[in-house]
Amino acid sequence: MATIYTLGIDIGSTASKCVMLADGKEIVGKSLVAVGAGTSGPQRAIDEVLKSAGKTKEEMSFILATGYGRNSLEGFADHQMSELSCHAKGASFLFPEVRTVIDIGGQDVKILRVENGAMTNFQMNDKCAAGTGRFLDVMARVLEVDVNDLGTLGAKSTKYVGISSTCTVFAESEVISQLAQDTDKCDIINGIHQSVAGRVAGLANRVGVQDQVVMTGGVAQNIGVVKALEDQLGRKIHTSPLTQYVGALGAALFAYKKACK
Amino acid sequence: MSIETMMKEFQAIAYNPNKQLADFKAQGKKVIGVLPYYAPEELVYAAGMVPMGMWGSNNKTISRAKEYCATFYCTIAQLALEMLLDGTMDQLDGVITPTICDTLRPMSQNFRVAIGDKIPTIFLAHPQNRFASWGLQFCIDQYTNVRKMLDQISGHEMTDEDIRNAIKVYNASRAARREFVKLANDHCDVVTPTLRSAVLKASYFMLKDEYTAKLVALNEELKKLPVCDWKGVKVVTSGIIVDNPKLLAIFEENNIAIAADDVAHESRSFRVDAAEDGDPMMALAKQFADVDYEVLLYDPKSSENRRGEFVANMVKESGAQGLILFMQQFCDPEEMEYPYLKKALDAEGIPHIKLGVDQQMRDFGQASTAIQAFADVL
Repeated sequence: MATIYTLGIDIGSTASKCVMLADGKEIVGKSLVAVGAGTSGPQRAIDEVLKSAGKTKEEMSFILATGYGRNSLEGFADHQMSELSCHAKGASFLFPEVRTVIDIGGQDVKILRVENGAMTNFQMNDKCAAGTGRFLDVMARVLEVDVNDLGTLGAKSTKYVGISSTCTVFAESEVISQLAQDTDKCDIINGIHQSVAGRVAGLANRVGVQDQVVMTGGVAQNIGVVKALEDQLGRKIHTSPLTQYVGALGAALFAYKKACK
Repeated sequence: MSIETMMKEFQAIAYNPNKQLADFKAQGKKVIGVLPYYAPEELVYAAGMVPMGMWGSNNKTISRAKEYCATFYCTIAQLALEMLLDGTMDQLDGVITPTICDTLRPMSQNFRVAIGDKIPTIFLAHPQNRFASWGLQFCIDQYTNVRKMLDQISGHEMTDEDIRNAIKVYNASRAARREFVKLANDHCDVVTPTLRSAVLKASYFMLKDEYTAKLVALNEELKKLPVCDWKGVKVVTSGIIVDNPKLLAIFEENNIAIAADDVAHESRSFRVDAAEDGDPMMALAKQFADVDYEVLLYDPKSSENRRGEFVANMVKESGAQGLILFMQQFCDPEEMEYPYLKKALDAEGIPHIKLGVDQQMRDFGQASTAIQAFADVL
């Protein structure tokens, strides 16, 4: 029987990700472009994944879009789904025992309860940047460090510095105030991670956290946030090297299901 | 006339209150703006004037109102003031300002100061202790003040018979809206969430007898249709107001129908009728006392969580699979009541989501994601 290729495209607020699957099992291509909805990112990510896998659009049995910009691919994608369902699906593929997914993206925090690979309940953050990837971007800019270095820098902290978890704007003022007092950057960064974790843990507890806990989204690459969240939830948090691709992976899995119908 | 045409007519009225106001004025009618909640509109009708609801706007931007309001005022109240300040409502002959919530209470004074002598404002303080004889008497006294001021604006005294007649007109209108809500559930393939909202919203911008005649005609046509076999999901909506077409379009995109509502701007406003005989002022006061399961009103048995159970039952009885709560930003009563509603829904195993909204929202990306995901869960 011929191989069924499916493509999942996750257009987030800050990045565009694609995953191509063969027969709903094997990842044969992936791409990530660090700009998201409303930019050239989605098209570049699509071109890149097709090129890396040596495939054409016509060879895709089903294409499914997800993420904040999912509606922008009308005419190209065969179907679109919310990124919550796709993250639950993708996380279940990587971690079959998962019961709780914590997805911290560019502008959203989502907590998903998963039963037998399907989402059964969820919580999203309010219309507020606190606790999101954007929060970390803002803080990294103020601290004049690369957002990718926050995890390693925060690990060098020796002293607790409290940063508000209420509001990004107020928290930014607090960070500037700490810098003005010559507080060590690493301590401030650790405080920022604690702040994000506090916000996310509060949201997670509304849904009810159950093991296995999996963290997805770009912020899962920040070991400081993961550690702070583990401490606050009192549970081990699992992450994957494919953490940024989990939504696109879920979309490709749903696409395979659709293709087989 | 086709059902679609009839609903489009309601929609045209719901989306163009300015035109309605201008038309009423061109006909020589006097128009009274009525802010939320539970103002006795019957008195305006009895005075021979037109009551028009003032529940904010989905199109205006708050600018002038900021001079009078703290940041944490709800956008419905701020936008009502904005429209009084920017000339949109200059043609009004008066405004009734009820004060049942903590925002509207101080806001009533902001209205008075901001409008000055331009438009008469009629202050109305409902009693929270509304059941005992002294609570009823307080309500009658308040309504009597409203009646006197309306008489001054209209230039003639309304009679008790005028009020009894108005009560009959309003009872008929409430009955027609209650029937429409049930029919909208039975025929949710035709009465989409957007059209359902528009039909109910139009009631705030029409004389009730004219509105009711049109709605009864629509109801009769809907009754002729077979009950639809809905393949999508059904939900109950809850909150203060759910009328933004962009938000309601998300329901339609995801095959979500509205089975019933617990929305202040919709069903909460027409659940209770007034007695059509006896003292009409007492009838209106008793009508207010009879309002139950209401976020904004005192419930002597609140520890029993009757309201939460009422809403949970509404979900079950309407055939909905879940509830979507649209939480108006800075709405203290709704925020404080939410844990009790959640408790009742959880106890019955009814899934729900809470979405933060306000009338300044122009992008509904996050709401779209949450509603689509909720449909997946259901």
